[in-house]
Amino acid sequence: MHKIILIIGVFLALASCKPEQEKPYVPTPYELPKPAFFPNATNIPADNSMTEEGVELGRKLFYDPRLSGRDGEDGIRSCASCHHQANNFDFGGSAGLHHSVMPLVNLAWNTTGLGWNGSVSTLEDMVLAAVTSPVEIHADTNQVVRYLQNTDDYPKLFEKSFGSRDITFVNIERAIAQFVRSLVSVNSKFDRYLRGEEQLTQDELEGYLLFVTEDGADCFHCHGGGGNALMTTHLYYNNGLDGHFTDPEDRHAVTGNLMDRGAYKAPTLRNIAVSAPYMHDGRFSTLDEIIDFYSDSVKNSATISPLMHHVMQGGVRLTAQEKSQLKAFLNTLTDEAFLNNPNYSKP
Amino acid sequence: MLVACTKPKSQGDLTLNVGYSINGKPLITDTLCYINEAGNEFMITEIQWFLSQIELQDEQGVWIPMEPRIFYIDTNIPESQTYRISSIPTGKYKTLRFTFGLDEEDNRTGLFSDPPESHMFWPEPLGGGYHYMKLNGKYLDENEELAPLNIHLGIGQNESHTEFYQNYFSVEIPIDFAILENAENQLNLTMIIDNWFRNPNLYDFNEYGSAIMQNQAAQQALKENGNDVFKIGQNIDNQNNISMNKDKTLWEKFSETMQKAVPKPHFWTWENVKERVKRYEV
Repeated sequence: MHKIILIIGVFLALASCKPEQEKPYVPTPYELPKPAFFPNATNIPADNSMTEEGVELGRKLFYDPRLSGRDGEDGIRSCASCHHQANNFDFGGSAGLHHSVMPLVNLAWNTTGLGWNGSVSTLEDMVLAAVTSPVEIHADTNQVVRYLQNTDDYPKLFEKSFGSRDITFVNIERAIAQFVRSLVSVNSKFDRYLRGEEQLTQDELEGYLLFVTEDGADCFHCHGGGGNALMTTHLYYNNGLDGHFTDPEDRHAVTGNLMDRGAYKAPTLRNIAVSAPYMHDGRFSTLDEIIDFYSDSVKNSATISPLMHHVMQGGVRLTAQEKSQLKAFLNTLTDEAFLNNPNYSKP
Repeated sequence: MLVACTKPKSQGDLTLNVGYSINGKPLITDTLCYINEAGNEFMITEIQWFLSQIELQDEQGVWIPMEPRIFYIDTNIPESQTYRISSIPTGKYKTLRFTFGLDEEDNRTGLFSDPPESHMFWPEPLGGGYHYMKLNGKYLDENEELAPLNIHLGIGQNESHTEFYQNYFSVEIPIDFAILENAENQLNLTMIIDNWFRNPNLYDFNEYGSAIMQNQAAQQALKENGNDVFKIGQNIDNQNNISMNKDKTLWEKFSETMQKAVPKPHFWTWENVKERVKRYEV
């Protein structure tokens, strides 16, 4: 008898649920690919696992100027204002900031800080920094939350992603960070070469040989290669751009270590051909200018990285043909599938 | 039934502490305060290296392999300089043996996909696999200018990259050591950095230059010098690795110059932003 009452009770309880409670919060896990020659270690926080719903929400927020939380002439800024897909989610020019915009590519595998000096630890923090920075989106987070809460579309998308229609800025950070982590480039010609799917031309191969040899262009210690397909160590180096240092936002500003004066993050060389301008201050506009610098204009200083082996000769001293071959190799790092991936474009 | 009656052999753990000495003292990084046998003044910024296939030889002459098989050791990562090896049969041991670097079996490109080990990759055209060691620093060259110093050891090759040479080597050190059950068994392994540069080959930085990955003569000289680089002895205090020697005039002069060049922190930093956005937090 007791059992019958219990069953009836459960039935009544189920029958009394409201329609919207019939679909519990069960987001679909997002499978981040594990490309060959990429690390296993990612920077995905324990409290922000990637989900299909979270990535899609992040994508919408990334492109939405309502992230500025305001109307009017200045209410037009979103992440995509400065991070253009066609430019490797870099700006593709001078954004007028103290440091040039950095690309957003394969950042799920960056575990050593973000920005040119690594002052921001996580992508979630970077969203907060970019949204509130007076020289970027320059928004008030409370205002952003209120603004998005009063839209027709966002509350239900946040419910799908995080289980609540109540929008918080923490969840805004999480969603955009999820989308940025989903930006994966792994289909350049060089990737296909590493996978044995496509051969490089003779010039491209010669360029790769220069790239990975100390007696050549000596790039690989900081920018990877076959053993590190991220094409960066994500570490910080003084690469000999200058002999004296006046930038108050170099790596030294973060670590306090004098040996880090003039040091900046080695950016990935993936899609480098479409990521101009180059260097932390955007001083170079073309690949030719970069190659000329590393060939002939490296400056010595007390804090230059020991890995700049050829500084005593002013650089790696490439011939015109070698410069051309190195450039040919760098162009194999362009991933058109990434630059045109419809899953990464404005929804 | 018989198996069930066999008493399992007792086991103990071993903690291996790795340290560095130079001129008989613990290594101090980023300080131009050392002179090698050839008279080169130099400093060391970091040492990153692989030690593999550690074995202990018991009193009966049997070699017992330790697991894990490969250790990555990095002066920038203090915790990488202490390893705990579990489940070693208790008893007395008379020899420690290990490989400096990685042998042909271990040294395969793609073995490591995660940093920091993956950052040690040795390009395929140069033989592939991984650096055995990166010892990075600076030295005063013949013109009294600070030049890069990179003792990068790995597979050597001829000029046309058609022949390759294995430059790892095995190290055997006599010990009088016992692994006890439920005890803090510790071995302290020290790299005597000076010895890389003097015996049997006088290693002059001005002769070999800053980059030696494609210089088999340099690789060979260092391989031969490696014979007395390692010893078992007192624990080296790795904490001292990160201090600076303020007595050295060159470093002081440099430091003063650099300090003056550093503007006051009025700039935009994450810390500043965090302060500013506190009031916005929902």
